Amino acid sequence: MSCSSTEDLPDQYKELFTQDGVLLKACIGRPISDLNSIGMLCVVQNSDGTKCIEWRPNDLITIDSDTQDQEWAVVNTIGRRQRTLSGNMTSDYAAARARIVRIPLAELKTFKVTRNNQQMQFSTKSGVWQNTFYFQHGNAEIFVAYLKNHVKTAKTRHDRNTYVVVESNIDSQALNKSFTELDIFTENTTDVVWSLVSNFKQRPYETTMEAFSKLTDIVWSVLVYYGNEGLNGKRDVSEEVADLLTKSMSALEDTTSITKSDEYEVITVKPTLPPRPCIPRGTPLSTEKWEGLQDTEGRILEVEGVKQLIFRGGVAHSIRPAVWKYLLDYYPWRSTHSEIRKIQKRKTEEYFSMKLQWRSITERQESRFSEYRERKSLVEKDVNRTDRSHPFFAGDNNPNVLLLQDILMTYVMYNFDLGYVQGMSDVLAPLLLLLGNEVDSFWCFAGFMEKIASNFDMDQAGMKQQLLNLQQLLTFAVPDLAKHLASKDSGNMYFCFRWLLVWFKREFSFSDIMRLWEVLWTGLPCANFHLLICVAILDAEKDVLISKDYGFNEILKHVNDLSMCLDIDKILSTAEGIYHQLMSAPHLTDQIRIILGIPTAANNPNDRNEESESEDLGDEEPGRENARNQANGYTRI
Amino acid sequence: MSSRKKVLLKVIILGDSGVGKTSLMNQFVNKKFSNQYKATIGADFLTKEVIVDDRIVTMQIWDTAGQERFQSLGVAFYRGADCCVLVFDVTAPNTFKSLESWRDEFLIQASPRDPDHFPFVILGNKVDLDNRAVSAKRAQQWCQSKNDIPYFETSAKEAVNVELAFQTIARNALAQETEAELYNEFPDQIKLNANDNNRNRDGDNCAC
Repeated sequence: MSCSSTEDLPDQYKELFTQDGVLLKACIGRPISDLNSIGMLCVVQNSDGTKCIEWRPNDLITIDSDTQDQEWAVVNTIGRRQRTLSGNMTSDYAAARARIVRIPLAELKTFKVTRNNQQMQFSTKSGVWQNTFYFQHGNAEIFVAYLKNHVKTAKTRHDRNTYVVVESNIDSQALNKSFTELDIFTENTTDVVWSLVSNFKQRPYETTMEAFSKLTDIVWSVLVYYGNEGLNGKRDVSEEVADLLTKSMSALEDTTSITKSDEYEVITVKPTLPPRPCIPRGTPLSTEKWEGLQDTEGRILEVEGVKQLIFRGGVAHSIRPAVWKYLLDYYPWRSTHSEIRKIQKRKTEEYFSMKLQWRSITERQESRFSEYRERKSLVEKDVNRTDRSHPFFAGDNNPNVLLLQDILMTYVMYNFDLGYVQGMSDVLAPLLLLLGNEVDSFWCFAGFMEKIASNFDMDQAGMKQQLLNLQQLLTFAVPDLAKHLASKDSGNMYFCFRWLLVWFKREFSFSDIMRLWEVLWTGLPCANFHLLICVAILDAEKDVLISKDYGFNEILKHVNDLSMCLDIDKILSTAEGIYHQLMSAPHLTDQIRIILGIPTAANNPNDRNEESESEDLGDEEPGRENARNQANGYTRI
Repeated sequence: MSSRKKVLLKVIILGDSGVGKTSLMNQFVNKKFSNQYKATIGADFLTKEVIVDDRIVTMQIWDTAGQERFQSLGVAFYRGADCCVLVFDVTAPNTFKSLESWRDEFLIQASPRDPDHFPFVILGNKVDLDNRAVSAKRAQQWCQSKNDIPYFETSAKEAVNVELAFQTIARNALAQETEAELYNEFPDQIKLNANDNNRNRDGDNCAC
């Protein structure tokens, strides 16, 4: 018997996520006999890439393996499919098969979590809840957390338990498919596993056994998924997860201390960060993808999607000139070809009128205009020593050096309050090198300056604030290094000044700095991600700095000497890993939340480990979703 | 002066942007000049061992950014300085006028034990250029008015007087150090010696 002819399910599909102990409470169009039976709720991926929420009665599983406990259901289902394929079908099996409930993610409109995380309802049509499930273990939030990786949701204002799917089936385009895979990796693996581990840590007595079984379950499902799929063959993810689990468990042992009394034990947990996920970089946004993202009139509608892609892998060099204009707010993302032509025309006129302003200052005027003279002299001095070893700026009377000067002088007219500050020529040089065109370079430079203007404050308040924030992040993320630095008079982090002032321009080659900047310009995954880049670099140098007991001078020298010796992809990957560590740290402080631009605990009492419904809650939700929403300027309904 | 302990002298180079601080430091330490030095961002230092009066001393020379607004952070690097080198560009009068404020700023921020006798050295750099705008006389007068600060006219590009200037810097810094060690037992004598040396050299090297 061929399985394809007898099954209404696609031949090949894989379980992405499985949660057991879920009762089917209500389902429109199903006989009552089908209801109130126990089963598991899954997210599955069909061979065509589409995804479904699927509920499967346990009978289906126990047919295959009556002897096994349902806690090990995931393992069993693998066995089942193999047996099905080998043609071992019974009529009971077919009957059970018919009771499967499937909700395509593409059709999902809203869902709701009620009764203390015990009940979930799904709707594919407004106004009707077609399916209701009861979570025996009261852990629906895990399913929700997973689901949110696959559909973009927003909470409704009037009911914080109801989620509206704002972007259904984000798998429909090739673009988004790749995100989803990444999301599975970055969010599911660590997030779900970690949330279970941390639950376990926080409520050891109530949840020890339960959490352990759930954990095993989830880890298994992850193992199974990656075991089948791998991730571009880049790394063995199952090993990673197993490693992660081992680490979490040993971390748990290391960090818990037990105080025994007559009736109970007090277990205190010293806060440590969750293990750092290793997140591989993606491939750069390609020409084909970029062109595919534009509608017939040239608008880019999937702005957040594009930014995600760029954050993941950067931009292919050939389309950088086009893409950077959007990233640097020269062109609005949603403008059409004809609107862009108008913008170009207007901006060109504006540029040349500002240029004319300073070009028409006569020598005699200049002699009585000391402030202007000083700025001009500073610009001249600096352009003549900006990247002169690069062929584009090399040699005497290089016209590109003059272009640097003209653009910076025009910027002085554009923003006279700020004027010219050292470091600006460094910021401009890669833009001019890439864009080649004076007007485009100017406006992209102006856009970049918008993002980093506070670096150049007269009182250096912006730089001081960043150095302070960096120190705070480092103290939280790499406390032993922060402690060492503080003991060596380096807690002020001044040795990172150059990194921050020109966004690492002096530390990388032109091609690497282009990659880093375009990633940072996306504003993802949180505010001040450039500070996490600093943390990532310092973390890699931690052993040297500490073991050699470097003092103030040696630390500065060592950090300065890292220039041109840094691996940009590795650093980006580490920085993102650190971001995820922070996001899933149960003890994340408000100070860190503020730096990263995510809502503070005061606004967000619905902490990830808190399940009580009785609290007065804002619309906020915990952790990563918030960070992402805010970073993206994504509005909640 | 016969102490054999290892001596580290911390020297801070200050002055307006583009006067040649980085070039002077590199000419002295590495014996080379490049017109491709980038504007200094933040701070950096180089070290060099020199022999002063038969003693081996290590000079740690600190180079900071010249633009005024960055000084509020530069002060972190002033601490423990043994000598401060103030540089101006002989072709740019503004950079000469700034010397006063650089000196004041340094004394305020570094707050040395004895500000009146803290060793400074002034370097008028870029004497290889034709478009000179600050005369040696004018510079010397100013230096004399500031408690006889030693003055050298240098060219980092052509290695003019760089070695000599840094020798003096080392000697004066060491004198300062020794003075501190001796609790000012013979402060005047030491200072006079230092100045005598420099006057002689000034005479030799004056470009006017």
